[in-house]
Amino acid sequence: MILTFRLAWRNLWRHKRRTWLTATAMIFSNVLLVFMISLQFGSYDMMINNTLQSFSGHFQIQKNGYNDNPKLRLSIESIQPLATEMRRSMPQTRVAARAAAFALASSEQRSFGIQVIGVQPEFEAGVSTIPGLVKQGSFLEDPNAAEIVIGAVMARNLKVGIGDEITLLGSGRDGSFAAGVLTVTGIYESGSQEMDRSFAEIPLGYFQEMFAMGDHGNSIAVAADNLDEVAPELITAKQAISGHNGLLVLDWTELHPGLKQAIQADLSSAWFMYGVLIILVAFSVLNTQLMSVLERTHEFGVITALGIKPRKLVSLVMLETLLMSLIGLIIGVFLGWLVAYYFNVVGFSYPGMEEVAARFNLSDKMYPSVTVFSMMLGPLVVFLFCLLASIYPATRLYRLQPVDAMRAV
Amino acid sequence: MRLLILILGILFLAPSMAQEPDAAQLIRNAMDHWRGLTSYSDMTMTIHRPDWERSMTMRSWSKGDKLSLVRILQPKKDAGNGTLLNDNNMWTYSPKINRIIKVPSSMMSQSWMGSDFSNKDISKSTDIIDQYDHELITIEERDGHVYYTISSVPHEEAAVVWGKEVLTVRDDYVLIEQQFWDQDDVLVKSMKTLEVVEMGGRAVARVMRMGKVDTPDEWTQLTANSIEFDLELPDKLFTLSNLRNPRQ
Repeated sequence: MILTFRLAWRNLWRHKRRTWLTATAMIFSNVLLVFMISLQFGSYDMMINNTLQSFSGHFQIQKNGYNDNPKLRLSIESIQPLATEMRRSMPQTRVAARAAAFALASSEQRSFGIQVIGVQPEFEAGVSTIPGLVKQGSFLEDPNAAEIVIGAVMARNLKVGIGDEITLLGSGRDGSFAAGVLTVTGIYESGSQEMDRSFAEIPLGYFQEMFAMGDHGNSIAVAADNLDEVAPELITAKQAISGHNGLLVLDWTELHPGLKQAIQADLSSAWFMYGVLIILVAFSVLNTQLMSVLERTHEFGVITALGIKPRKLVSLVMLETLLMSLIGLIIGVFLGWLVAYYFNVVGFSYPGMEEVAARFNLSDKMYPSVTVFSMMLGPLVVFLFCLLASIYPATRLYRLQPVDAMRAV
Repeated sequence: MRLLILILGILFLAPSMAQEPDAAQLIRNAMDHWRGLTSYSDMTMTIHRPDWERSMTMRSWSKGDKLSLVRILQPKKDAGNGTLLNDNNMWTYSPKINRIIKVPSSMMSQSWMGSDFSNKDISKSTDIIDQYDHELITIEERDGHVYYTISSVPHEEAAVVWGKEVLTVRDDYVLIEQQFWDQDDVLVKSMKTLEVVEMGGRAVARVMRMGKVDTPDEWTQLTANSIEFDLELPDKLFTLSNLRNPRQ
């Protein structure tokens, strides 16, 4: 085995330039794959984070069934104390309690059906970008005041500005009439028409009074600093609610089932492109190895005539490919890691991305995800395909006829 | 001779025409019977859900096909809330905020006061007469009454959410059942009359229950405590100022 290895290593450097050329193709494709894949995973992380940060948080506590059928009655008892308790047991996260109802909002001139969210003014900014998106006036402050923050489109539709009054009309938790007159204190612009048109926030205390909720609320949103920290916090959250009947912890895949599907769809289309790259590299390896086997036909003929088993020759050729691919893998991953790590530290951004991000109150840079998985995934597939590509040139040796081979030039 | 045959023919045909009444006329009569020229009723509305139940008593007035006013009396928390309907326009008043709010057309399919009735069910109860084409499908005799079942399909351009409504009207024009079918021809909800009594000088549906087909344990029941028909109702009863400051 040691002998075969030494032979393979020497054979590899008999054609230095050819070996390096092939290895460079591998290195190049590996660097590209490492960078692209880590950037891609980084952008998914960003996409998930941006979606979750905008409103829902990384996970939520809800009453069983509320996610599928958000009814006011499916509520959590003593929601503020529970949120406080969770805030204490999960100091790394940000926790905010909420309630949500449908209501008819009207100004002097117009009426529209809207979604009203009761929020804890002091904690909401930790789990949602809306407080930071208030462009006129300011976000809510008093937890019990008759104040409302609305979207820019809603403000335009209702023809109201800061300081104007909005009347809300809906049904309370007990089915009674819920009505209130609130003063507009802030107008936000999220950039999403849908949200800006139909989404308003009022203090949770006022919400509970208006909708006859008592001390109930509908959800507790929890946000972590990044996606990796969510898993351990989920366990803590499950413990925190274990004493409460009928409560569930829902993570982002349950809160946003569409998001996961969008990522999977994007991933599979990206893999098509990576596949083309990988196959091109594999063919260049096939070409190199076939050449190196054919040009040594005479030599192989002589060795076989001397009594070397073809199996030995096959493993020699395979080992040559393995060594070459290993060079491509190691150098490729190293260089790819350098590039990805550099951008992981300083951040990566497209031209124009900053302006867009600032408008949506989002991070203006993408950070490639540098994990063993994102680093190794592409290069390992390249490695595997290169080995597969060497099977054909290598197995040709089984059919080698020593006499014919020796006559070959 | 020919004339004689013609006259005889008409004479023979006439009774058979009377036996098969015009579907549109039946519905018209049922609506007139239900609303009268004017009407006043005292009702209890019970909203039933698997985990809770709630009752409200209310008074309602109607005049012609277009005008109605509903005012809540009980429970205390909701007393004074009112709804005024004028054709397809709907306003609601809440004493809590002392304001009148016009309900926009986009909210018409929302539930009315948390019940299984939509704002539309409440407001356009007579729209069926002129926005639909009617066809008599069955005539049945039961318990000494004749029941006519009429299938009503909205006109092409009618602004209606339903694909079809099926009404059952008794021969004394009491509406026995109203079914709401969607555009895929699936029965969504229905309103059934559970009890018919003699009140205000005519047979009226005393208890009516509205419920969705796929949630049989959720329904809303309207029980009439008293009904009067054809009383003198001034037009100013159905005004916004009266909605805000009741004078009756």
